[in-house]
Amino acid sequence: MMPLSLVFIFGIPAALTVLGLFVRTSRPLGIAHNAGYLSVLCAAGILFKEVLFQGPCVVRDFLYVDVLSAFFILVTAVISFAASLYSTGYVKKDTGEGVISEQKARVYYTLFNLFCFSMFFCPALNNLGLLWVAVEMTTLVSAFLVGFYNKKESVEAAWKYIIICSVGIIFALLGTILFAYAYSLTGAKTLAWTDMMALAQGLDPRVLKIAFIFILVGYGTKAGLAPMHTWLPDAHSQAVAPISALLSGVLLKTAFYAILRFGMILIKAGELAYFSHLMMFFGLISLVISCGFILVQKDVKRLLAYSSIEHIGLVAVSFGLATPLAFAAGLFHVFNHAVTKAFMFFGAGNIVHAYKKRNMNSIKGVMRLLPFTGVMTLLGVFALGGFPPFSVFASEFLVLAAAFANGSYAVGGCLLLFLGLVFAAFLHHFAKMLYGHLPKGAQAQGEPLSGKAAFIFLFILMLAAGAAFAFVKEDALWITKKLFQI
Amino acid sequence: MQTLILFLILISTYLMTSAKRVPALVRSFQYQSFGLFLATLIEAAREGSPGLYAIAALVFILKVSLIPRVLLAVARKIKANEDLGLLINPQLSLFMALTLTYVSWIFAGQLVSSGGEGKTMLAIAFFVVLAGLFLMIFRMTALAQVIGLCVMENGLFLLAASISGGMPFFVEIAIFFDVLVSVLIMGFFVYRINRLFTHIDVDKLTRLKG
Repeated sequence: MMPLSLVFIFGIPAALTVLGLFVRTSRPLGIAHNAGYLSVLCAAGILFKEVLFQGPCVVRDFLYVDVLSAFFILVTAVISFAASLYSTGYVKKDTGEGVISEQKARVYYTLFNLFCFSMFFCPALNNLGLLWVAVEMTTLVSAFLVGFYNKKESVEAAWKYIIICSVGIIFALLGTILFAYAYSLTGAKTLAWTDMMALAQGLDPRVLKIAFIFILVGYGTKAGLAPMHTWLPDAHSQAVAPISALLSGVLLKTAFYAILRFGMILIKAGELAYFSHLMMFFGLISLVISCGFILVQKDVKRLLAYSSIEHIGLVAVSFGLATPLAFAAGLFHVFNHAVTKAFMFFGAGNIVHAYKKRNMNSIKGVMRLLPFTGVMTLLGVFALGGFPPFSVFASEFLVLAAAFANGSYAVGGCLLLFLGLVFAAFLHHFAKMLYGHLPKGAQAQGEPLSGKAAFIFLFILMLAAGAAFAFVKEDALWITKKLFQI
Repeated sequence: MQTLILFLILISTYLMTSAKRVPALVRSFQYQSFGLFLATLIEAAREGSPGLYAIAALVFILKVSLIPRVLLAVARKIKANEDLGLLINPQLSLFMALTLTYVSWIFAGQLVSSGGEGKTMLAIAFFVVLAGLFLMIFRMTALAQVIGLCVMENGLFLLAASISGGMPFFVEIAIFFDVLVSVLIMGFFVYRINRLFTHIDVDKLTRLKG
């Protein structure tokens, strides 16, 4: 029997998709969206609570929702609600200025729903083959949203995105097949994660190791781990702003979730060291590469995209540390990065929308032109850089603490160095944009109410999550230990 | 019989790596898919399972007839029949394909300890995946890349059949559906690229950098 909360989580995006076919104007659609995703968010919260206290929820052989899945569903729900709030104003402005037609605005909402639907689906699936299909579906749907404006740049970005991610994900399927092969050697024929977990002992470690490399390269492409990240800055910078937030906040995490599912099997099979070495390797490469590009970046949205690579690298490193504290910190950082990065993309979206350009050298005086966005973006820069009252500080601090407690001083030192460099680069880039004189002839503008609401919603989460984690740290550690069996 | 079909798949893959024009490439892809169809059909007859018959039928409908037709239609519509955007010439490509075959043979030896038909099939399957990747890297038009992706997927189908006795039925169906949708969407994007840029050379898509 499917619990009611799950029915809501899958049902509402599906219902909104159907609604989009009938409602002619985009304004009521936007309102329906906000209401819909708010209830999805509530349902996700309830689901998380249920799963936390009553154990995993299983629907036939098809769906399996444990704490990890519920956590990723919750992250998706938070970001999709915020993105939906932000979309209302954004789409209204675009249609008002004639950038897109009313018809196209409806298409946008339909694709938005399909995209969210596919992302809610991924973490809930039990069968790893179907997980693959769902992850590929997210690529296919979002490719249209990346190429939405139908300009040369955006179509190029969409093409790179769809091709690189499809090839990457083919490798993930190869890895999945090899995992199935490892099981078939012991006589079990299954692709269901729960069965695979139960039979994880006594597998041929050689096959498992080869298989996991394919999984990591495959889903890692989608997760934005360097050096397979090349699609990411293009796609993130060309997508519609609320979609950039979804791509960076949730889509990357969905692929990372898939890596974790396979990683859990690997850990159960007694290959924790192998798992952690690979994660550490890819994580550090991502940090190094993204840091270099952030320092010399000119385009504001590409800057944020590279920052996503940096943060996914940080998450990978924390899983590479292979201690319960590091695992918990990594998961916590997944949430914090999603919230903070969505916040920043909304800010960048408003700026790009108002100035009609992305080059940071030619954007000046945001504080005067868009006072609300300016202040929020400044706060966001500090939050993303890991400044104390914000939640990213808490998770980055925990990762560092885990590194030093583990005796990995070199890793901890590297992290400190790169995080410091990135923060300095961010301050440099954004200070130039936010301050300075207004461009000639420009008038101070306001932001739509729903856009402001999206900022405030995320801002509260950014402030609250860090403080809240201090109270539940012990429980989080215990849950992580139990979940990953380390 | 099995060996003959594997041979057909192998030869059609070599044909693909040395093809110079889009229709030739698509036709070889069709031969390869036909080989997959025959292999699945024989397997279905041996095991007498209706699921495998259904999968064989799907292979025929999707990969032998529908996808090649879509690809050819796109090529005709944008008048891109002649050029595949060869980065390296057919002779060298064929030589590299032979090298890849050897690599896959070694790789198959790593995975399967015993020799025999299983190992041959695994090696060929892995080779097909690599050949698809090769096409995607060394053929510079968007259309050739779509075909490369389909080839890789064919290789995976064969791989799944050779080592884990095929995927579960509904997973297989879902993957087929997925492949079809992705080919349609990519075809759509090829069309769009052609309309905006008036060519489909992906090595000339260089607007986004850094």
